[in-house]
Order: sequence, then structure tokens, then C-alpha cells
Amino acid sequence: MWSFDVVANSVASGVLLGGMLALTALGLSISLGVMRLVNLAHGEFLVAGAYLAYYLLQVTGIDPILGLPLVGLALAALAWPLQQWLIAPLSNKGMEAPMMTMFGVSIILQNLYLLMFTADTRAIDTPYAARALHVGPVTVSAIYLIGFAISCVLLVSVHLLVSRTSFGRELRASSADPVAAAAMGVDVKRVHGLTFALGAACAAMGGVLMGTAFSFTPTTGATYLLISFAVVVLGGVGNIFGTLVAGISLGLLQSLAAMVLGDGYRDLVGLVIFLLALALRPQGIVAAKVR
Amino acid sequence: MNAVLEPAAGTPLLRAEGLVKRYGGVVATDQVSLTLGHGEVMGIIGPNGAGKSTLFGLLGGAFAPSAGTIEFNGEDITALPAAERARRGIGRTYQIPRPFLDMTVRENLLAARFSLHPFEAGRVARAACDDILERVGLADVGALQARGLPLLRRKRLEVARALALKPRLLLLDEVGAGLVDAEVTELIDVIQGLRQELDGIIIIEHVLRVVRECCERLAVINFGRKFADGTTAEVLASDEVAAVYLGTAHGAPKATPAANETAATPQVDLAPLVSMAPRQDAAAPPLLELDNVHAGYGQARVLNGISLRVRAGQVVAILGTNGAGKTTLANVISGTIKPTAGHMRVDGQDITGLGAHRIARLGLSQCMEGRRIFAPLSVEENLMLAARDVTPGEKALRRDLVFQLFPDLKERRHNAGTSMSGGQQQMLAIGRALMSRPRLVLFDEISLGLAPVVMDRLYESLAVLRAAGLTMLIVEQDVERALALADEVHVMEHGRIALSGPAAQIREDPMLRHLYIGTAD
Amino acid sequence: MSAIVSRAPVPAVPTASPSAQRLWPWATLPVLFIVLAASVPLLSDYGLEIAFRLLLLITLAEAWNLLAGYGGLVSLGTASFFGLGAYTLTKLLSDPSDSIILAMLAGGVVAALMALLVSRAVFRLRGLYFTVGTLALAEALRLFMVNYRGLGGASGLFLAVDPPAQREMVWLALGLLAFATLVVTLATATRFSILLRAVRDDEDAANQIGIRPFRIKLIAFLLASTLTGMAGALQALKVGTVEPYGTFGIQWTVAVLSVVIIGGQGLRLGPAVGAVFLVALSELLAEYPALQLALTGAILIGVIRLAPLGLVGLVQRLLARKKGGTR
Repeated sequence: MWSFDVVANSVASGVLLGGMLALTALGLSISLGVMRLVNLAHGEFLVAGAYLAYYLLQVTGIDPILGLPLVGLALAALAWPLQQWLIAPLSNKGMEAPMMTMFGVSIILQNLYLLMFTADTRAIDTPYAARALHVGPVTVSAIYLIGFAISCVLLVSVHLLVSRTSFGRELRASSADPVAAAAMGVDVKRVHGLTFALGAACAAMGGVLMGTAFSFTPTTGATYLLISFAVVVLGGVGNIFGTLVAGISLGLLQSLAAMVLGDGYRDLVGLVIFLLALALRPQGIVAAKVR
Repeated sequence: MNAVLEPAAGTPLLRAEGLVKRYGGVVATDQVSLTLGHGEVMGIIGPNGAGKSTLFGLLGGAFAPSAGTIEFNGEDITALPAAERARRGIGRTYQIPRPFLDMTVRENLLAARFSLHPFEAGRVARAACDDILERVGLADVGALQARGLPLLRRKRLEVARALALKPRLLLLDEVGAGLVDAEVTELIDVIQGLRQELDGIIIIEHVLRVVRECCERLAVINFGRKFADGTTAEVLASDEVAAVYLGTAHGAPKATPAANETAATPQVDLAPLVSMAPRQDAAAPPLLELDNVHAGYGQARVLNGISLRVRAGQVVAILGTNGAGKTTLANVISGTIKPTAGHMRVDGQDITGLGAHRIARLGLSQCMEGRRIFAPLSVEENLMLAARDVTPGEKALRRDLVFQLFPDLKERRHNAGTSMSGGQQQMLAIGRALMSRPRLVLFDEISLGLAPVVMDRLYESLAVLRAAGLTMLIVEQDVERALALADEVHVMEHGRIALSGPAAQIREDPMLRHLYIGTAD
Repeated sequence: MSAIVSRAPVPAVPTASPSAQRLWPWATLPVLFIVLAASVPLLSDYGLEIAFRLLLLITLAEAWNLLAGYGGLVSLGTASFFGLGAYTLTKLLSDPSDSIILAMLAGGVVAALMALLVSRAVFRLRGLYFTVGTLALAEALRLFMVNYRGLGGASGLFLAVDPPAQREMVWLALGLLAFATLVVTLATATRFSILLRAVRDDEDAANQIGIRPFRIKLIAFLLASTLTGMAGALQALKVGTVEPYGTFGIQWTVAVLSVVIIGGQGLRLGPAVGAVFLVALSELLAEYPALQLALTGAILIGVIRLAPLGLVGLVQRLLARKKGGTR
């Protein structure tokens, strides 16, 4: 029924797309893992990155891929005060208060985008984005390949940051036992701020890649939030390689579903997988993560 | 009410057989069996961390056992969840009270009442609950939100709420902690009164007077295992209890060291790890000073005016029974909790209210209760994390010294921090506290849950540290060992220091035994 | 599991005797509703529009308050049940003689069935996983409706009959609110409320005293979803058309959440006060919908930080202080 080419292309693009999904989910995973924060504005950070790269290209002509570090830094700089002023003061009020606060932030951001950029659909146009590359029997968009490569590099970098540096040690200690970490001299509040900023930067960079490969509007964030969540839950909260594997798997499954059922079902399949993962995960693993 | 067929005569009220509870690699309950007959009141005693509350969790149904069975009145309830056991007549209180905070005291009891009698007339239910409130002494706060109750009243609410179930078996977890003598008398009266209406009571207690006057039988739990089971008089007179409460050096059987644990502590030059203060003249301010410190959690007041001083080079021991406030004191000193009144000074500088990480950076290091090793980090990473603001070379030097002091850690340097035995984790905790080259180290209950031979090793290393001139503050349950090491001793009771003085003097003081065991009879 | 934000202790305000307190709503509310019903003919067209929106919003908010405020189950899935009710009514009403009331009830029932279906899976999730799970459910349902041709896909369905006149719509909304008020009052003023709040405050301790948390949570969930479904059905009747974005969209969830948190979650008057506040705000900023929403988000953040028990909680605190702050 489906020719080998079609299936092969589907698999290839699914895997590559999955790598990018992993990057978009990374920020959510480390925020949740380290700070127990459900960042419901995660999708909006993603879209912020996309808008920023779009206007950077328009105004200065800087290529979005080259401009990735700039976008990452910009979002990190915006996210840091947000965490210090809005989230940190709620640290002793349970998990729902910060979550609802981020929900408020997401509402504000979505509407700010609407006001500033209108509801028009946009896409970051680069000459190479749509170019088709032939790798053996498979044909994929250049941007998928570039995006995948960049995502892998960033994921590995973050992994190295977390597992080899002293900041990474402080991060892991703060996530395991913030009280004991403080007693050891770790400034947990600062670690949380940096973690949140790092998560926002990753989300924004993922957003640039998504904005170059696909289009976006002020409200695209919501879908990305849930897909990111699916990747996080499947891959294990705070587990960076797990996020990569889960992202690739989800991307692959979504791509195959789009091939079989139609493109409109892509996101739906992702959500269904998410719901199944939530429903079937043994009570113990879920309960252990939740305070 | 309970539509259970009456079992054959002679069936005990409760029979637990071979209960085991494992959490990952840790065995919290190890083959515990016990039997409670109808009309019996039984006590369970043992040190902190022994697994007593875990046992109640198993009996009450909070979690399922990894192995073993439980029979209640002849019926196998091993697989039943907590709600079903409550409906069959098992009531349980929690060691740390868990009232429904945003409901009134009366509503807390009504919740229990309505869960069993959903269609009972409101007036009848309220009357029954008010009756119980009267008996436990909470009648005046019926309309107050549970959140507004201080700790001791929350404990009463725990009991009242369990009673609202009209249970057949009541499991009381440390209801006597923190009570003054008159209150203990009240408590004993309440328990004696309950004998008429309940079929059996099991009491976990540290206050031995309660145990002595209420319980016919007594069991001793330690390391998750049952060590003794007999009449109250027998058990209290035995060596086990003396060992548990006064120190493990007291006639406990000497176990052979495990194959993977090395023997003696090697001699090490500890100068890079231990920040030795120059000889201080008496006029200089003490290294650490607490001045009338009060502290607590929410409504509960735990420390009621603590004053003490630690001079450089001293070893000070803080003793006291459970509920006396030792760990709260440790948490205040480390900055984990802020005092509600009073001052804390380091070198004469006021540091009251300073955050934990800042206090750590001043040179006050803590070996926390329960060790608190970071599981995602390896042994080596746990150590390196604690060395602050020094060159990598210096960090490596300190780490190597810690490895010399504790060779067990060197062998396992890349293993996950929590993958080792309890004793080795404690070594790691001590090493970690030393990595910041502290001026003072606070050791909070390092002997919890450890076997005597392991404690020998640890205290040997502490002696080495002492010889090197480290200033130490030792919070301990194990009185004998602490007295052997310390220069000065403070004994706490009800959040105050009840007894102070040089170690040699305190050891002979009869007050010490009184504070721990109760009036000599 | 405690409610959305932890509460400071509210001092016991001296009130009338318990029996008077319990009878109070039964006496005054019916009178209130009769008065409101009688005043409907006096409203202008604009007034009727506002009234309908307000009444529907309060109904939705009451349902959510029961679930999240009293039950501690912070659900972001309001839109799923709203949409199911809307589509159900649209499918059922094919003839002018068909009963609107029955169609609304059917909408509620369908929503309740969905709640029942997902309950086993969703209640195993605690805290944030429950919240995100309900959000995922709502979004999945919306995407499904977009793609499923059988129910109109992205363009949706049109209502086969003409909607009743504005005045009738407002009376229907008032009737629905009366029903919702009855249900929620029963749930919060009776002993069920004690069991529900016990499960909210500490599920394990509730277990230990014989309460079966699953059943209690399920009852609250079913009640809330039924009311939400009926409200959705009414909205479908008003607008005359349903499509995935408008009926399964997150804007309903956002509106309800904001109303309850700003008004005061877990408090009886919270939904009404919050709804009035937000409808007033949206009328003031009618020209600038995006600004209005952004402002709502900002107020939400402010309330969570500074007045966790919302406007009603703030007033209660001030009143208690005036009376000398008894403890």
C-alpha cells in the first residue's frame, strides 16, 4: 500500500523531528525535575523564541540558526527575573500556586503576542529551510537535519553541564534534597533561577527551530506544551537522555500516524500516547515524583 | 456495625506473622511477628529510626507488606487498604499529627463518624463527637480550625479522631512525647479509661512511665526487628532496654565486623581539613553562642529559651529524650529553621535569621540527621560538592584526606552515594561535612539505626578529629558514647536545657538517669 | 491534597447558632431567584446579553469551585465537558417540539459519562499530573473533533432549530443556575462536604479513618461535569452553532479558573463575586479583548501571591479584623 520511499521518508522525518521535540521538552524536564515547577508558560517561551528569531531576521538579517545563542540568552535574561520575583516568593506554598502563576503568565504572554504581532500565521523563511536533501533512499528537508543536529548538540551540552560541572552537581543536589543542599552551602535560590533561565533558553531555541520548520501563531504554544509534557513523562522527569529517546520515539510515532491517518491526526496521536503513558505508568513512579 | 462473623474462641484480636517491608535496598521491617489478645494493652519501644512507625503503617494499612500476613479477629486483612481496615475497627494515630487542617476540630471527628455512619442523625453524631472532645480535653476548641492548634493539642485531636471511629483496636503512636508530668498523668487516665470500650491497644512510646502504668506486655524493636517480647516488668529490667536507652556499649552482644568493612582508623594528618583556631583567650567571644533562642514549626513551640556557648576546640554534647528538641536545635544552628526569638552569634557577630547556605559559608558545617546523602551524586561528587570556593587542587587534596580517614569510601568513590550501607553513608556524611574545612561541625544523631560495631568505628574517627582540634557539637541519643567524647554536656528537656556541666560530672549525676528512664522505683 | 494555595488560618467569626446557619441558604436563595426571575423582563437587550453571560459563567464557576476549591482536584479540563454538552444538544434538537430541558439534561449526562470513563485513570494521578492530564484530555478531545468528519470536523454543526428569544434564554440560564446552586449547596452544606474536604486536606489520613477517597472524588467529579455539560448545552442553544475551537477551546477553562481563583476558591460566594468582577472587567475593556485577557492573567498572578483566598477571602479577613480578631 505504501511504497518503501514514503515509509522511509516518514520514518526519517519522524526521527529528525523527534530530536527537535526533545530539545523543546528539555527545559520543561529540568524545571520540573529540579524545582518541581510545572511551567505552564513553557509553550509561550517557545513561541517567544520563534518571534524573536523572526524579527531578528527581518530587522538585522541575522540567520536564525546563527542567532540561536542570542535568542537563548535573551530568553534566559527575561526568565531569570520572572523566576526571582514571581516564583521564588511562592516556594513555601506548595506546588499548585507556582503552577497557576505560570498559567497566568502564559495568558499574559499569549495576549501580548496577539497585541504586538497580530494573529497572523508566521514562519521563519530561510533559503535552505525547505531545500530537500537526498540521503540514500530518503528525502528530508534540510531544516529537519540541521534542527536534529543542533538539538543533539544542545542536549549533549546540557547533559555534560549537569553531569560534569560543579553547577551541575549543585543542580542535582538541589533537586534531590534542597534543604540538605543549603546546609552544604549551596545557594538553592540561585540554582533555581539559573535552572529556570536555562530551561527557558532551551525552549526558546527549540522554538526557533520549530518556527523555521513549521509556522506559528500566538497560540501555538499550547500544543507544544502538551507534546513537551508527553516527552517529559515518557522519558522520565529530569532524565536528559530519556528525553532524547522519548522525543525521537514520539516524533516517529506521530509521523507514522500522520502517514496512516492523515496529517491532522499528528498532534492528536501525540496526546493520546501521552494520556496512555499517564494512565499506564505504575502508581509508584508517578507518586514518587509528586510531593 | 461490623458484619464480621464472630471467630472461634481463643482467636487473638490481632496476629501479625513474619512482616517484612522493603524500600529499595533498605529493610525497614524485618520478620516481625506479634500477637495481641482481646483486652490487652501492649507497648512497643525502641530508639528513633527503629521501624516502629513503619510497623504501624503496615498494621493500619497505609502500605502493604513486602511479605508476611496480618489477621484481625481471625480475618486475613493483609490485602485490605487502610479504609477497609478502619471500617473493620482498626484506628491509628500518626506520630506527626495529620489533622485535616482546613476543617474545624469538630469536623475532623465528624469526618470519621460520617464515613462509617453516613446516614446518622446530625444531632446524634455531633453529640457523640462532643463527648469524645470532652474526654480528651478539646471541648473548648470544637469550632476552631485545626490549623490553629498547637502541636500537643493536635496530638489529642489525632486520638479523638481515631476514637470517633469506635475502633476495636487502637494504635497510638508516641502520644506522650513532649508532655509534662501532670499531662502524662492525664494521658494515662485517658488510656486506662479506654480499656473499657476498646478491645485492644498498642502503644508506641518513649515516655516509659506511660508504658509502665498502662501496658501489660512490651516489645522492643530495633533495626526493624523485634528483640524482646514479654511482660512489662521483665522487659524493662532487661539489658536490651538499658542498651537501647543509655548506650550500646552496655552489654550488647559484640557482632563480628562485616566482611566489606575495614578495621581500625588509620592515623592521618588532618590539618587541611580541620580549621584549627588559634588559642583563644577567655575574653574573646565564643565561636558559637545561642542567646535565649526560641523556635518551632508553625504553631508548635519546640525550643523555649536555649542559651549555650561553644569555644574553639571544645567538644560539646547535646543530650535529651525524643521530643526534647535536639534536632530542632541542630536545625536552628545550621540555619534550616529560623528562630522566632533570641539571638545566634558567631565570633560575637549576630547571625540570627541568616540563611542556611550563608551559615555554612561562615564555617559551620553539619552532619545532618538521617545523613541526607544526595542520591543522584556519586560518593566523590557528594564530597566535591561540599568543598566551596577553593582551587581544584585543594579540593582534590581534601578529598584524598577524607579517603585516608575512611578507606571504605575510596573503594566506592564512583558509586551512587546511597548505594552503600548505613555506616558507610554516615562516613560519607562526616567526610562531606569536613570538605569545607569547617570551624565547627555539628553531628546530628549519627548513631541512628547503626549497629554497635559500626558506631565504634565512627566514634574512633570522631576521636581522631577531636585530637586534631576540631570544634564539635554532638547531638546524640547514645548517651554513653557522647559522654566519652565530650568536654561539656547539656541535657535538654521540653525545649530547655535541664542539666549542664562537664562530662565527667554529668555522668555521675542521678538526674541524667531520671531524665531518660523516669523516676527510679 | 490541599487546595490551590495554602491558607492562613481564618479566625472563627462568631455567627448565629449552627441550625440557623444551615437553614439560611434554604430560606434566602429561593427568594433571591424568584426576585431575579421577576426582574428579567425589565432588562434591556444589552442587559439580557450580560445577564446570560454572567449566569452561565457563575454556573460553570460553581461547578469548578466544587471540584477544585472544595475537592482539591484542580482540573484544566472544563472545556471537554462543556463541549460534550454543547455537541449533544446540537445533535438532539432537530425539531421545534423537542424539549430543550431534556436536551440540556442529556448534555449533562453525556459529560458525566465521559467523566466516569476517565475517572479510574485520572484519579490515580495526584497533584500536577492530574491537572496536566485533564488539560491533555481537553486538548485531545478538541483535536479529535477537528478531525472527525462525523461531527462536522473543523467547521462543526449547526443547530437545526431556532434558538428561543433572549428573554427565554436568560430564564433558562437562571433556571440552570438555580439547579447548580441547589446541587452545590447540597454538596457543600451537608456531610458530604466534610468527607470531600477531608479527602482534599489529606487523602491518606482520610483513608485511615475509613473514607474511600475514590468514591468521594468521583461523586464530586460527576456533579461538576454534569453541570458543566448542561452549561455547554445552553451555550450551544444560544449561539446556534458548535465547532471545536469555540466549544472545546481553552478559553472556557481560563475564564472559569480566573473567576474562581479571583473570587475565592473553596468559598461559597467566590464564584459569584469573581464572575461579576470579571464580566465587569470585560465590559470595561470590550474594545480590547487581548488586553482584557492579559489583565486577567496579571490579576490572577497578583491574587495568588497576595490574596490567596480571593476577593471574598480578603473581605472575610477584613471583617474578622474589625470584629476584634478572635482566635
